[in-house]
Parts: sequence; C-alpha cells; structure tokens
Amino acid sequence: MSDSQPKAPSRRKFLKTMGISAGSTAMLAGLNQSASAQSSEPVKIGCPAPLTGIVAADGIEFRRGLEMAAEEINAVGGILGRPVELVFVDTESKGDDVVIQAAQRLIDRDKASALVLGYNLETGTALHDVAADSGIVAMHSNTVVAHDELVRSDPEKYWGIFQYDPPETFYGIGFLDFVKGLEDRGEFTRPNNKIAIITGPGTYSTNIANAIKDNADKYGLEVSLFESVNVPISEWGPTLAKVRADEPAIIAVTHFYAADQAQFMNQFMSQPTNSLVYMQYGASLAAFRDIAGVNSEGVIYATVIGALQDEIGSGFAEKYVGKFGDTSSPNGGGQTYQALHAYAVAAALAGGPGEPYEEDRNRMVADRLRNLIYRGPMGTMRINPDGQSAFCYPSQTNDPSLGMPHIFSQIQDKAVGGVLIAPSPYDVGAFKLPSWMKA
Amino acid sequence: MDILIQILVTGLTLGAMYALASVGLALIFGTLGMFNMAHGLFMTIGAYAAFSLSGYLGLVLPVGLLIAMAAGALIGVLTHLLIVRFMLTGPNFETNVMVATAGLAILLQDVLLKIFGAYPFTQPVKVEGTIRLAGVAITLQSVVIVAVALVLISAIAFLLLRTRFGMTIRATAMNREAAELMGVRTTRVYLQVMGLAGALAGAAGLMISSLTTLSPQMGGDPLLKAFVICVVAGLGNVWGAGICAFALGLLEATVQFEFGVRFGFPVMLLLVILVLVWRPQGLFGRERVVRL
Repeated sequence: MSDSQPKAPSRRKFLKTMGISAGSTAMLAGLNQSASAQSSEPVKIGCPAPLTGIVAADGIEFRRGLEMAAEEINAVGGILGRPVELVFVDTESKGDDVVIQAAQRLIDRDKASALVLGYNLETGTALHDVAADSGIVAMHSNTVVAHDELVRSDPEKYWGIFQYDPPETFYGIGFLDFVKGLEDRGEFTRPNNKIAIITGPGTYSTNIANAIKDNADKYGLEVSLFESVNVPISEWGPTLAKVRADEPAIIAVTHFYAADQAQFMNQFMSQPTNSLVYMQYGASLAAFRDIAGVNSEGVIYATVIGALQDEIGSGFAEKYVGKFGDTSSPNGGGQTYQALHAYAVAAALAGGPGEPYEEDRNRMVADRLRNLIYRGPMGTMRINPDGQSAFCYPSQTNDPSLGMPHIFSQIQDKAVGGVLIAPSPYDVGAFKLPSWMKA
Repeated sequence: MDILIQILVTGLTLGAMYALASVGLALIFGTLGMFNMAHGLFMTIGAYAAFSLSGYLGLVLPVGLLIAMAAGALIGVLTHLLIVRFMLTGPNFETNVMVATAGLAILLQDVLLKIFGAYPFTQPVKVEGTIRLAGVAITLQSVVIVAVALVLISAIAFLLLRTRFGMTIRATAMNREAAELMGVRTTRVYLQVMGLAGALAGAAGLMISSLTTLSPQMGGDPLLKAFVICVVAGLGNVWGAGICAFALGLLEATVQFEFGVRFGFPVMLLLVILVLVWRPQGLFGRERVVRL
C-alpha cells in the first residue's frame, strides 16, 4: 500500500458533482480536504444483490444506486483520498445459502471493507453472522423485524450490522392509519367494511399481512379474504374469482414482486371490483408501470424507503433517470445510493474504514454510523440503537427530520412515478379516487 | 355460474400453456428417449425472439408466433447437431444427455442475460382486449393461448398420425433398428423431432411470456410443470401429455379456488406421487411398449 495525499477535487468539479446530495458530499469533500490519506488503495464495498431471478428489477437498481453514489464520492476524493471500488456478486434471487456464500466471498476474496446492499430473498438475517464474524460493517434494507430481534439478542456481536430502513412491522398499522386518514378527510368512503388481504409466502409479506389482519377490527374492517399465493404467480384467476364473489372495500396485496403485482392489475382491470387497491412496495418500481401500463393508474403503494418528491428527492430522481433511462427506478436505486453516501461520511468521520477482521477500526465506523443523522433522497436515516434499524416517521417519531418516512403514493399517470400523497410534510399531491371505483 | 366460468377460463389457459410446454418435451422423450433439460430455454428463446423483432417490425401475433417457433426450431436443430447426435450411440445416453442439456440451459440462460439483462420486459406480441361470456370478462389473450395450443397440438397429431413424416417418427420411436432396416434415416428423424419440439417450445414461450414477463429464467417454472405432466401422463406419451396438461390446469385452478392458491402446485406434486405408486408407467403409459 502506498502513501499519498488525498486528491482534493477542483471547485468546478465539486460543484458539478455535488448536485442533489450537496450536504453530505460537501461534508465528505471537506473531510477529504482536511485529511491526510493513509493509503491510495481503494476501499472495497461488497454488494450481494439479486441481479438475476424474480426480483432482478430491484437488484439492478441496487447496483445502479451504488454506482451512482460511488461516482459522486470518488469525484470529491473518495473516502479520505481512497477511491471507492464496488464489487458485486449475484445472489440470483435465491435464499440464505447463496447470500451467505456471496457475502463470504466478498469478504475473503475481495477484501470488502463493508457490505452495502439492498435486500435479498433470504430470511432477513443471513449475512449477519458472516459480517459480524469478519468484523466489518454491513448495511442492508431487508426491512424485517427479525434483524432488530437478532441484533437485540447479542448487541456485542452484531455491532456492525445496520438495517438502514425501518422494519416491516410498521407497514400494517401504517396502512390502516393511512386509510383512516383518507376517510377522516372525506377523500374516501368505503362501500362496505370488508378487506381482502393477499400475501406471498415470505416473512416480510406475511408479517405485514398479519399485522393488517390482526388490527383490521380496530378500524372497523372485517377480513373477507386472506389468501397466500405461491411465487412467482402470473395467473390470478382463482384469487380474483374469490375477490369478485365477495367484493371488498379494500384489497391489500402484500406480496411484493413488481411483475406479479402488475399481472394482478392487468387481470383485475378486466373486471374490476369497487375496491381500493393497495400494493406493497413493488408498485413503486418502474417495472410495475411498464408491465401494467394504464392498468397501474389508481394503485396506491407504500414503502418505508422510497424517494421523496421534495428538492433533494426529486433532484436525485431526475439525475438518476437521466443517467439510467426511463425504465429505471429511483425508489430502488435510492436505497443503496443513500446507504453508501451515509457509510462514506461515517467512515471518513471515523478516520477511514478498516479491512476485514480489522475490528477496532470498523467499530469506529459503526459508532459514527450509529450516531449519524443522515438526510438523503429517501429521507432521514437515524439509527435506533435498540435493534439498529432506522427510525420510522410517523410511527416512531413525530419529527419528520428524525425518521425515515413511511410514504404512501398513488400512480395517477403511468408515464411518471407515483404521486406522494402522505404523510405530511412530504406529500405533494392529493388522493384521487381510482377510475374503476364508484364515487 | 360466474365463478365456474372464471375457473374454467383459468384452468384452460393454464392447461394450454402447460400443453404447449409438455407436448414438445414428451415428443423428444418418446422418440429419442432423452429428457431435454434445455427445453425451458427453448421456450425462453422463442419468447425473446418475438420480443426482439417486434421492436423492429411491430409484429402482429401470427408473425410473432412464426418467429418464436422458427427460433425454437433453430435452437432445437442446433442442439441436435452440436450436442445430441454425438451422444446418441454412446453408453449411458439418457444420463449423459440430461447433464449435457442442463449445461446447455445454463449457458443459454447466461447468454440471454448478457444480451438482454434481467429486466422483466413485457411481451409486446399479444392481443389486447376482453370479451364477455355470461357476464364474465375474458381476456382475448387467454382465448388466443387456448386456440394456439389446440391448433398446434392438432397439427402435431395430424402430422404424426396422417403423414409419411409422422410414420417415420413413430417407427423410429418404436424400434430404431427396425426403422433403419425399413429405410428410415433415423438420424434425420431425430433432427426433425428436435426441430419440431423446439418449434412447439418457442410457441409455448411466446404464449407464456404474454401472460407473465420476459426474463432469462422464465422457462424454469414451465419446464418443471411440463415434467410433472409428462410423468403423470407417462413419459414420452404425446397425447397423454396434452390431455393431462388440460386436466391438471383445470385441477390446479379448482384447487386454488376451493382450497387456496398455495395448494395448487403441491396438489399436482401429490398427484405425481400417487400416480408413480399406482401406475409407475403413467396414466397413459404402457409397460414394455415404446410409447409415443
């Protein structure tokens, strides 16, 4: 490893590249300028991602988000003069075994200083032991409460594992609160008190579906259908036959694959029922609108980690779509984009990242990350020390500057992304009754 | 009544897709005695061929179907010329060819991934719109899928039963040596069967992708279902595969409605176990008789 001074970017280059993540990039640039680099060796960031298989639409965005963030970080001098170098391993939309192997390979072969990723189709805690045993930081958006439970069970072991968005348990109640808000404001009147819940087989989907089911009666709703589907699923006929036989006021699809959700809407719209349709996460991706086309219009979706439509979020989305094209999804790419920026700032503040098994140095990075309040295009990432997931706004904090917002959007024009309709102060539009519903 | 129609439509649509996928698989097994692990990729290539050319030509469905079938046939022929024919006379053909075609499937999948990426594209070669039957909306694409399956399977039936070409295929399937003694050029028959099965797979791929999305992995699930159907029907039994495909499609739709979507495929697998216990040769298979 050779010593060298950190490269300070020119003012022109800095202004050109700082763009939408001005605050954090400026902070990083400042740290880079004032620091003496220990090395010019690249900082390896590993990313096990589902680049093929049924959730590849997301995996591709995770890679793009990291690439964009790495470009911006490197443009201002990397992390204390060390450029960020990304290494990807395809987890093929498969489970724990593949994710564990991928993470181990990134650490042992590629010497990744940290793992920064989106989600994988695993149980939610597959890479925790691999990262913990290697003494590195790992940041993921698996969005599972199992992460919090595991970290809480042994905080000394899992000091470096962060879930940079809130766990899925906030979705269920958050959705019911959202519907209540629509009703309280007179924007939606339920035609009856029935709710149909359609879930996939995974823990994430099932936990959200169960949370809705368990709390529905508190909101005056009766569960008329609770259906678990296999994945992938393209033929929704039997499920839709049940929905049509006993029309609900609300259909909540917590199975989250964008392509499957799009096929649901394509088949639902051939004979729609007078029901509000809510879809978990997948509808936030451009692939959903691409496949469902005009049938996507009217759908409501939610995510606890989606691009906001304010100055920072819209600026990011514009730049992202400009870079990767109309079929790209800032909602997916923004996750890893924000996570890598946050990691870079924390690592720079800590005096630089360590390599695998350099636990003391990486612990310093984790400490900085744990105390960081980072505002990016997806909102504020502030880590809850109890479980090491991001705080959720408004479920855990009523201060929007201190929690990752649980945002609700509605697709009102298939050509553009959903309009953010809740919560305040991030809402930029109002709910519109879907065309298939009776006023 | 509404529900019955919806179940029927779903069952027939599923059955038609399964039939297109499984008949080609059964044809190859019946003639060559090989389980083609790359059959799912033949479907995928057919779907991507129609998708790719539609961008340039704005294909209507009949032309798209022909292109998908041509692409499937081409890959079937190439598979035979470059891989299968070298193994035919070797020892352990059935095992070796299964491994070889599994390897081919991985290779083709990676090639598709390299060319098209993993983005779930929507298939533009399809028919939009719905018709109403007794108050139930039925998509025209479902009607098209069932129609295409019936036409193609009928055409295969005619080809195998009523033409000289079909006779040579049946003769080769029954007894290769005897067929050769009668002047049948069996190596050519094998080539033709691979092309024919590939064409059917290409059509299946186009139809399946019109209801799902395109992805390099899209052939995996249909291949699994086709294999289940072939086992239930009796490996290599073309007619049985067609009938079982529709029957299992209807059964799956009924189970999904009555007991829940998640029970559809497990019930199919349970059926395979029962059939293998009760009739190891399959519902339409005959012991010690070469089937077709």
